[in-house]
Amino acid sequence: MIELRNFTKRYGEFSAVENLTFKIEPGELFGFIGPNGAGKSTTIRFLVTLLQATSGEGFVNGFSVARNPMDVRRSIGYMPDAFGVYDGMKVWEFLDFFATAYQIPLARRKSVINDVMELLDIGAKRNEQVSSLSRGMTQRLCLAKTLVHDPPVLILDEPTSGLDPRARLEIKALLRELRSMGKTILIASHILTELADCCTSIGILERGKLLLHGPIDEVYRRIQRNRRVEVRFLAEQERGLALLRKQPGFVDLQIDGPKVVAEIAADEQQLAGLADEMIREGVRFHSFADLDPTLEDVFMLVTKGAVN
Amino acid sequence: MANPVFQRELVAHLRAHRSFALQAVFVLLLGALVAIAWPTENRVAVNNPEQARRLVDLFFIGQFLLASLTTPVFAAGALTGEKERKTYEMLLASALRPAQIVGGKWAAALLPSVLLIISTLPIVMLCLPLGGVSLYEVLAAYVGLLAALTCFSMVSIWCSAKFARTTAALATAYLFVLPPALIGVFLWQALGSAAAGSRIVTFIGLVPIASAVICSILFLTLTRLLRYPPDVGSEGRDVIDEQQELREAVGLIIQRDQFPDRLFAPAKRTDLLPDDVNPVLDKELRSELFSQGTLMLRLVIQASLLLAVPLMGACLYFQPRWAPWYLAYVLLFNMLTAPVFCAGSVSAERERQTLDLLLVTTLKPGQILWGKLFSGLRVSTVLTMFLMWPVVLACVFVPDFYPNLLSFVGMTLVVCVTCLVTAVVSLFCSVSFRKSYVSLTTAYLALGCLFLLPQAADYFMQSFLPESAAARVVHSGAMVSPFAAVFAMPLDLPDLGAGSARLVRRPADWPTIAGYFTVQAVLVLVLLRLIVRMFRNRYDAAAGI
Repeated sequence: MIELRNFTKRYGEFSAVENLTFKIEPGELFGFIGPNGAGKSTTIRFLVTLLQATSGEGFVNGFSVARNPMDVRRSIGYMPDAFGVYDGMKVWEFLDFFATAYQIPLARRKSVINDVMELLDIGAKRNEQVSSLSRGMTQRLCLAKTLVHDPPVLILDEPTSGLDPRARLEIKALLRELRSMGKTILIASHILTELADCCTSIGILERGKLLLHGPIDEVYRRIQRNRRVEVRFLAEQERGLALLRKQPGFVDLQIDGPKVVAEIAADEQQLAGLADEMIREGVRFHSFADLDPTLEDVFMLVTKGAVN
Repeated sequence: MANPVFQRELVAHLRAHRSFALQAVFVLLLGALVAIAWPTENRVAVNNPEQARRLVDLFFIGQFLLASLTTPVFAAGALTGEKERKTYEMLLASALRPAQIVGGKWAAALLPSVLLIISTLPIVMLCLPLGGVSLYEVLAAYVGLLAALTCFSMVSIWCSAKFARTTAALATAYLFVLPPALIGVFLWQALGSAAAGSRIVTFIGLVPIASAVICSILFLTLTRLLRYPPDVGSEGRDVIDEQQELREAVGLIIQRDQFPDRLFAPAKRTDLLPDDVNPVLDKELRSELFSQGTLMLRLVIQASLLLAVPLMGACLYFQPRWAPWYLAYVLLFNMLTAPVFCAGSVSAERERQTLDLLLVTTLKPGQILWGKLFSGLRVSTVLTMFLMWPVVLACVFVPDFYPNLLSFVGMTLVVCVTCLVTAVVSLFCSVSFRKSYVSLTTAYLALGCLFLLPQAADYFMQSFLPESAAARVVHSGAMVSPFAAVFAMPLDLPDLGAGSARLVRRPADWPTIAGYFTVQAVLVLVLLRLIVRMFRNRYDAAAGI
């Protein structure tokens, strides 16, 4: 659905993005992660036909970004990281303007506008001036505008920046809903917790280079050389620690009172055996958990914190 | 105690290369004028110093007009710049008193103009030995000049406080500054031939007093406005309620659903757009025009009509042979207003960060550009044509105009072509620049160079080097100006000034008329081609300069 082949963008001597290649399959929700200045917005601006590549190709919905920009525009809904609204327009007028700009016929436009307003929960603001809306409502309005022509591909650059926690949760729920409607979504963000539980795949960009990409589970597996086991002891903690230390593949131990996190190179069977052994040895614990890596772990491990 | 607002503005001004460039250009220009017009006789006729007097007069008038044109550029963005950068609220919420803010902005805006004036002092001193002008007259000129510029900068800052955008503030400032500037020129010239000392009394006494009164009133109004600022909204933008504004409007009220107001500002839609409508054009006319309120447009219409009344009386009824001067006023009005509606059409989309949203739609570049050009052209043309009604009425009620109807049709055509040229030049600037303020200033500069400079150069050459080959070249070059085209139309009208009517025949200057239409047609075509080319390449359009 979205494909980049050796996309490179240089500004004079400075290379913003270098040989970027990745593919996003239909129906995926792709999280595009990277520190500020990594080249995310440059890549997105190329994909939405607003930037010329120095070299390389891009395809959206099967159309070449460089050769068929009009077809690409028909296929995408784009929400930039920074955007404005037209003063002097009401919410419905703003949506009507963009619906007309996307050539949605009058006969269908009314229902389309009502639908997106309902989806984004901005129906109550229908007759308000867009310039009087709060930041969160403006963000919703822009997302509504992005959906107004029902594009198969959504490209959203930092769609939740500046939103309060409730609004973020609602946007996340909306993204899941949109994905369930079959849309392919590319979302750039540096708020990692936001992407972790809704993305199906991720790509990590730093200094214009793609460091890692793929389905999110596969990425976790690839970067997770060892398992992290968290045990919360009730009694016989020392005996439990000794058992952990003598496990084959034991690497490290972090002790925080009764909470202990051990890093062990082991599979699920070995971990089950470890739990059984602790119980047999009379070690009492109320929690034994195989900790999933977080997106923060992945990000910190993969990136070096370098910013262009 | 030092004023931090003044200090910040001063540092910003001194760091800008363009300030020094402007000063250099200003001094070089005036120096060049004096050098060209310098008497070439071996012996200077001190007892007949008419040429020296004309030279000094030209120097002062040139300096006054140039400084009057540049002062609003320095001052009109003083507070709107803060609003656009979203630093206005921080400034208001600081411990600075409103008087400090206004005073700091005022002093900082005035300083560049004062520096420009002082830097030309050595040039005028060179002219003094030629005779014809006393040291007291020079003093009067400088005092009058500084007093006028002080007033103009305060007026510009008042405009800056009343509007949200620099473009609106700048255009309105010009509207208020240009008429008194032209009156000042007229006064200086008129008093030159009046009783001795009248110039000195007027420019050392009356002008500074008038300036002080106006400045004091505006200063107090501004400090009050800053002490109790209007609601600027959560994002630092003025929240304009059009209905409330219309209820509180003084004087003219714009009623969008009625003729003739609907010609330039059709009523807002209450239902969805029809399928065959260009959404950009509709948005520009129905939503964007009054997005910052109606104040500027109301001021423009009222001030232009107010000025038109005496001019109409004098030029169309009292002395019909002055009719081209009324047309010159109409052209000047169009030069002033068209950039306001066209020069920000694309750059404002960049500033508001809506251009990307527009460019990723399936609208074609031609649709976007046509919408932008036609809306600006429509508004500026309708407003300009409001001022043409007196000409139509005069053609009906003044019998002397009957034999000249074709000439008036020609003049109207010149006005129409000028409307198109000003709109296209402004749109070109808007497509080329990222900031509306830069775009508007460049549009004014371009139109000034295109329309006014050739006329001024022609006048200068005819005054000081009338027989030279250069004067003939400059005269031919003046054909690019619509003012030249209007005055080139044939007129057979009576001179009513001397008591008995004497028919004055002015033959047509066909080369100038034909030259004007040809040059403007070529210019419009070239600019349109460039605009389309720049915009087609959406990458350039998104990036700007």
